[in-house]
Order: sequence, then structure tokens, then C-alpha cells
Amino acid sequence: MSSTETEFRDLQSAATSHRGDRVFNRTITGAAFTALVVLAGITVFLGLQAIPVLQTQGLDFLTTSIWSPPDYGIWGMLYGSVLLSVVALVIAVPASLLLSVFMVFLAPTWVAKVLTNLVDLMAAIPSVILGLWAFYILSPVSEEWQQLLNQYLGWIPFFQNESGNFSGTPFTAGFVLAIMMIPIVTSVTREVLGRTPPELINAAEALGCSLWTMLRYVALPYGRGGLIGGVMLGLGRALGETIAVFFVLKIVFDPVNYYNVIESGGGSVATLIVAKFGEASGPYETQLLLAAGFFLFMMTLLVNVIANLIVNRTGRLQK
Amino acid sequence: MATAEYDDVRIDDVQELEREIASQRDANVPIEMETRDISVWFAKRKVLEGVSIAFPKQSVTALIGPSGCGKSTFIRTLNRLHELIPGAALAGEVLYEGSDIYAPEVDPVHIRLKIGMVFQKPNPFPSMTIRGNVLSGLKLSGMKRSNHDDIVEQTLTSAGLWNEVKDRLNAAAGDLSGGQQQRLVIARALAVNPHVLLMDEPCSALDPGSTLKIEETIRELSKEITIIIVTHNMQQAVRVADNTAFFLATDGNPGHVVEQGPTTEIFGNPRDQRTLDYVNGRFG
Amino acid sequence: MSTTQVFDESRVASLAEQRPQAPWGTRTASFRTIVILAVFIPAAIVTGLWWYTDIAKPVLMVAGYLPLQLAAAIVAAVALRGKKSAFDAVIIVLAIGATVFSLVVLVSVLWSIVTKGLEAMSTAFLFQNNEYISPSTPLGYGGVGHAVVGTVVIVGISALIAVPLGVMTAIYITEVRGRAVPYVRFFVQAMSGVPSVVAGLFILTVLILSGALNQSAFAAGLAYAILMLPTVARTAEEVLRLVPEELRTGALALGSTRAKTVLRVVVPAAKTGIITAAILGVARVVGETAPLLLTALKNDKTVLNPFAEPISALPTYIFDNVAQPYPDAVIRAWGAALTLMIIVAILFTLTRLFSSRGPSK
Repeated sequence: MSSTETEFRDLQSAATSHRGDRVFNRTITGAAFTALVVLAGITVFLGLQAIPVLQTQGLDFLTTSIWSPPDYGIWGMLYGSVLLSVVALVIAVPASLLLSVFMVFLAPTWVAKVLTNLVDLMAAIPSVILGLWAFYILSPVSEEWQQLLNQYLGWIPFFQNESGNFSGTPFTAGFVLAIMMIPIVTSVTREVLGRTPPELINAAEALGCSLWTMLRYVALPYGRGGLIGGVMLGLGRALGETIAVFFVLKIVFDPVNYYNVIESGGGSVATLIVAKFGEASGPYETQLLLAAGFFLFMMTLLVNVIANLIVNRTGRLQK
Repeated sequence: MATAEYDDVRIDDVQELEREIASQRDANVPIEMETRDISVWFAKRKVLEGVSIAFPKQSVTALIGPSGCGKSTFIRTLNRLHELIPGAALAGEVLYEGSDIYAPEVDPVHIRLKIGMVFQKPNPFPSMTIRGNVLSGLKLSGMKRSNHDDIVEQTLTSAGLWNEVKDRLNAAAGDLSGGQQQRLVIARALAVNPHVLLMDEPCSALDPGSTLKIEETIRELSKEITIIIVTHNMQQAVRVADNTAFFLATDGNPGHVVEQGPTTEIFGNPRDQRTLDYVNGRFG
Repeated sequence: MSTTQVFDESRVASLAEQRPQAPWGTRTASFRTIVILAVFIPAAIVTGLWWYTDIAKPVLMVAGYLPLQLAAAIVAAVALRGKKSAFDAVIIVLAIGATVFSLVVLVSVLWSIVTKGLEAMSTAFLFQNNEYISPSTPLGYGGVGHAVVGTVVIVGISALIAVPLGVMTAIYITEVRGRAVPYVRFFVQAMSGVPSVVAGLFILTVLILSGALNQSAFAAGLAYAILMLPTVARTAEEVLRLVPEELRTGALALGSTRAKTVLRVVVPAAKTGIITAAILGVARVVGETAPLLLTALKNDKTVLNPFAEPISALPTYIFDNVAQPYPDAVIRAWGAALTLMIIVAILFTLTRLFSSRGPSK
């Protein structure tokens, strides 16, 4: 009997043995690696531009904040990108969480449906239009808010303003970024909260939990990974946003605005590239901008990869 | 509990016996397909062991047994659909017209053309019309046959659907009822002129009326081609099948054939106690 | 213990009169009164202050209305449900507040685009180009015709590149199911995080500075394609997953090759979903500005040749006209924004229409 020594038949190579299928598989597999090719291409080609810049400017390119020939340093811009994102996060995260709590747990189904569509519509507004709106509509209002903030809460370091000029501040730019982030973060958090298993919610309700305790002890811990991932996806978008910030932020290299969010002047790598590209005086300045782009890419890639790892891991856990 | 006493009988011995009987009985009937000692694995799990069945030409063979006994897995090895599942493995031989369909030089696409299949859930192609569905096999396999209109009429008639759809051949296939869809799928399988038709519980998702129609179709078709049908419904096996094989998997062990032979024997005079219990509805 | 039941005619009559009800939905009058008071008292107080005092409006809202409304909600919740629900009241007020805030922003953006954009709208504005027009030229002359053409050309080129590649990437993940599936998905996700300005820089350095291409519609289309591909791939992956497995085995059982199964059965079954993926991809890039500033520059003429010369598109037209000291130029920017927003709204509606139809069964 053959039950002791089994002879396995070759199934896997046979499964794709048809000649037309081999061509098809190769074509599709080739196309599937476009994403890798593009990512590698960006890293290599922008990295190649960053090398000579680092050779001429040294590490000062990353640690100083200056843009006057022959010295260039983008520290203020890198830091500024982060500061703007922090302002945006402070506004957008609570807003998105509360908005999705409303959509998932409080609103009637039809209201939630309408809101979902409106949030998606908000995500579809091009950033150049948000920039236009921010420049003409938001900025004047925002200046008034900032004056009041300074007037009543000026004793808090963040809300100090020496110049009396409230235009082109990190606050306004961060506010615009927050408006871009809210739909991105909300669409993730809404889905994450919506996936809280009904049996857990029922169990919490059967125990007499209030909405607050249900959120605090069931929904938020359960969806924690997804929520963090969603926030980081929004953060990745905020770090790389260019045009909406361009119209409302005054780019200042020196002094670096570290925390006075309602003081005029700040930085953003992405905006720097667009602002300086038109007036680049030669190949070397263009190379500087390409190098700045390389470091922006590295920064966003890192945030994005971490975000996706978190989202994917929780996605798998919940399956 | 009752299985303890059965274990005394060596499975292999039973099969040996069966094979002898089968070969004596069918000496004068040509064999269309035959499996020799087929064992099947999913990843590391063995789900079938040592299945040897012969399928005579132009006959209907029913594969019966409780859920999870491996009969659906078995039928998918007969036209090489089993290998599409990642981690699938197989040992043994499947002979079609005397040659092994798993031989390295064999193109599975050709095998599937000769050995058609109908599934549990009707699966007409939603993007095609009724007519398009019938002819889809020709298109997908690149087979050249002339007289498309004749093929459509002939196969739909064989499948017992022609009168119901002849006026709306260009309607979407999704508009048909479940039973009609299943007969459409049968017509689709017939259009490529298969010699064998595998049916994996073709009626389990259908109402009794449609089931009867499909059983009639099966009887009609068996005048031309060889049919192998997996069924849960023992009355159906009695109604349509010439031969029957009873599959069983006892807890944790891979499935195997307990008994096979003419349907009348299996249901009227089974030799194995387990077969008797199963066909009388005592388990499964 | 008796098995017979007494037939009660009145009970049958009352059963016949029964209507579907939701007793858990009914509220007592006092409940309603308290909720209404909790909503209206703070609003009334603040409205009074709004009209009769000089307190700055934002301060009034943040330091006046919000605490009052929270306090009222907490009092009402404690009165109705007990102490435990005080936190609930806070969450509900804040959640509604966040929703209203988001809606106010959305309405403000849309309202300003529509009202200001309409000032610029005319047939001349939609169909003429920007040749011989300076920022100070009166509104009756010149328009966004060339920019609309530019947007269509650039987006068209990027769709021609990114849609097939994106769909093929999705096919690799759902149909070919090769060993690299987790990696491919990971790269696609990482690619979706590439900032638009970086995509522009990449094309700039590889193709334009190297002398291979002009700053042109084709170069811009390539930059857009980088941004479009991940959106198309991820959406197409989702819709291909919805195609039932039985269709694939059904086709294979008919003697189809894998290639034909995918091309003739799976992709047609997911047709509307794949169109949705393409539209979403287009919507993702249509307003992107930064890549155009690097790879397409601007041009006041209408350009049809995608390789020859720089080209303007709606985003760059808006960009050029914002912050100009001439009121008519600013109005043109709003007009272009309205035009762009209409295009986005059409794409948005199309995706809703397609996805509401769902995958064909």
C-alpha cells in the first residue's frame, strides 16, 4: 500500500503551466512593482541631489536656518513643518474624534449618512481652493481670533506676540491644515469606531454603562490602533501639504519661530520648495530645493509607513 | 461510539474487495474515468485517503456522505480545480481515457474543457447575456465551433431551459431565477462538448421544482456523457444515479470510500453497517 | 394543568387593534421640557449678550456660550438620568459642537466659492484663454478656457498611465496572488503618502533637468500619475475582492486560462467599480498645484501638444491670480476655483452614483 510512502504530485508548477498565463502573470507582476520602482526612484534620484548639497553645506544644511548665499540651512523649515502639523493635530484630532463619535453613536442613521457624504466632499476640496479661501476669508477672521487670544491668554507662552502682526502665523496655517486633516482622520476613526463589535457595546449597555464609560472602556481601547493610524495618515498629509500653507504662512528662516504660534512667520519645507523654485537663481539653488524635497520625502515616508503598520496590524487583529 | 467496532475491518481490505467486485461487474462496460488511490491534503491536513473509483462511460455516479467527508474536494481533483487552492497537495492518479491528467505534460486547461463542472451556487457571468453565457466557454477556451445559434438552442434544450428563455436570449443572465440560472450554467458547460460533467451539489440551493427539472436533465444527459454528482440528498442519488460511492470521515481521520457499487445495492442491500445507518438517515 | 384554553373574545379584539409601537421611543412631557430648556436657555442668554453688549463675538462664544451650554446640558442630564450621565452630556455637547464646526467650515468654503466665483462667470470666462490679458484687464475679457483644456489634457495623460497600472497592481493582489502580495500592498500604501511636491520634484530632476522632456503637459501628467496610482490601485483592489470566487472557478472549469478568466470574467464583473476607482483617482489629482508649478509652469495660450511647451491648468491659474493687487484678477481666481469645484463635484457625484449601484450580482 502506498499509505506509508506517499508520492506527492507536482501541483504548483502545473497550476501556471499554460503559456499564455505565464506571459500574463509576468506582465501583471511587472506592473505591480511600479509602486516600488517609483519609491526607489524618488529615493535614489532625490538622494543623489542631496549628496552634493550635504558635501557643500555639511550638516549645517539640516541644523541651521538660513537662506542667503552662500549659506543654506533648512532647520527652520523642517521644524516649521512639524510645528504646523502639531497645531493642526491639536485642532483636528479632538474635532475628528468627536465628529465620528457623533456619526457612529449619536446621530440617526440618515444624518450619519448625510454627514459621511459631506465629510467625503470636504476631503475632495482641492487644497488650492482651501488656500484661496484661507487667504481671503479665514485670515481676517483668524487675525481677530489671535488678537483676542493674545489679549486674554497672552500670559501663556504659546500665545505671546511681540510684533502686533497676526498675519502669516503658524496658527492660521495649522488651522487650514486641520481643515484638510479632519475629513481624512474622520473617515478612518469613523470606520474604526463603527467596527466596535456590537456584542461588546451590548455587553457594556447591559452593565449599565453610560456613553462615556462605553467610549472610555470599550470603543476607544478597542480601536486604539486604528485611531492612532488614522491620525498619523492625516499627519503625513499635513507634513507634505504645500499650496494651502503657501498662501497663509509667512516663511521666515531667522529667527526660527519655536512656539509662538500666533506670531507672524514660520516654516514649511514643502512651501519653501514652491516659494523658492520660481526665483531659483541657478542649478545650485534648484539642487538645494531637490535636497530639501528628499528630506521632506524621508520625513513623510517614515510617518506614513508607521501609520500603515499600525493600521494594518489592528486590521489583522480584528479579522 | 459505534465506530470502534468498524475499525477492526481494515479499510484497505474493504477497498480491495470493492475494486475486485467493481472490475468483475464492469468488465464489459468501458471506463471513462478512474481514480487510483487518490489522497488529498490542504496544507498539512490530510482530507482524503486512498480513494479509488471507476466511472463507466455514459453513466451517472453519485458521491454521497455527510458534510466534511471530502466528497466535494474529491470531485475537484477530477478536473484539476483542486490545485488552485494554495497549499493543496495530492497523491495517486486520476485517469481520463486511460491517461493520467496530472502528468507533467498535460495542460489543465485542456482537461477542464473535456471535464466540465457545475457548482453548488449558480454562477452565470453577470456581465454577459443569457446567450453570451452559453457561448462563454467557447470564448474563454478559445474553442472554434460554428453555428453558434444551433449550439445555443441545442444546449439550452438539453439543459431544459430553451422554452423558458428562447424569447429573451439577450437578457441579462442575472434576471433569471436560481433554478433557471443553474440550468443555464449546465448549458454553458455543455457548449464546449465535454465528455464528463462534474456536478457539485447542483440542487442544494434550489427549490424542489427546479431540482426535479435538473434531475430530468441529468437523466437525459447521461445518454450522451458521463456524469459524476455530489449530493446530500439520498433520494436524489436513488433517482438519478446508476452507481453510488459512500464517503465517510470519522473524527479527525481523512475521508475515504466506505462502500461503492450499483445504487440499488448501496441503498437496498449495503454490506457495511455504516452505509446502512447513513442511507437510513441515522446520522449525517 | 388543564390543556384547554378559555377562548377570550375581548382579547382577540384588542389584539386586532394593535398597531406597531415603539414604547421605548416615547418620552414624557417633563423630559421634553427639560431638554428644550437646556437647549434654549443658554442660546437665549447669549443672543441677548450678542446684541446688547460689546463683548467680542468669538470670546462670547468660547467663554460664554460653550460653558453655559455645557452647564445646562449637565444639569439636565443629572436631573433626568442621574449623576452618572454628566459626562455623557459633555460628550454630546462637544460632539454636536465639532459637527457644527466642520459643517460651518464646509459651508463657508463652498459659499464663498459659489458667490465670489459667480461674479466671474460668463461664456467668455469659460471659453477664452488668457492671451493678451493682464491682471488689470477688466473681467469681460479672457478666461480659463486654456486652463480647463490644460487640466483635461494633463489629467487625461495621467489617467492613461495610472489607471491601467493601478488596475494591474490590484489584479496582481487579488488575482495573480503572487508571493509578493504583502510587499506590493505595502509599497502602494507608502506611495499614497508621497507629497505632491515631491512627485513634482522627482519628475523635474529625472526628466526635465536631465533634458529628456520640456516642462509640459506630459511631464505634469507623469507627476499626477504618481499621485493617482495608489488611489486607483487601492480602490480597484477593494472592488475586485467583491467579485465572487465562484465566477473565477466557474470560468476555469470551462477551460479558460487564468488570463482570460481575469480579462473576460473578473474585470467585466467589476466594471463599475473599476470606473469608480478611475474617477476617484482623477478626483485625487485634479486640484493638485505643486507638481504643476514644477513640471508644467504656465502658459497664457491654449496648448494641445502635450510635449511642446509649458501649459496652464486650473490650479496654476488660481495660484497665479491669488494675492494679486487687482480685484479683477482675484475675482478670476474665484471663478477658476468655482470651475474646478464644479469639476470635482461632478466627479464626486459620479462616484456616488456608481458605488450606490454596487457590484453587479
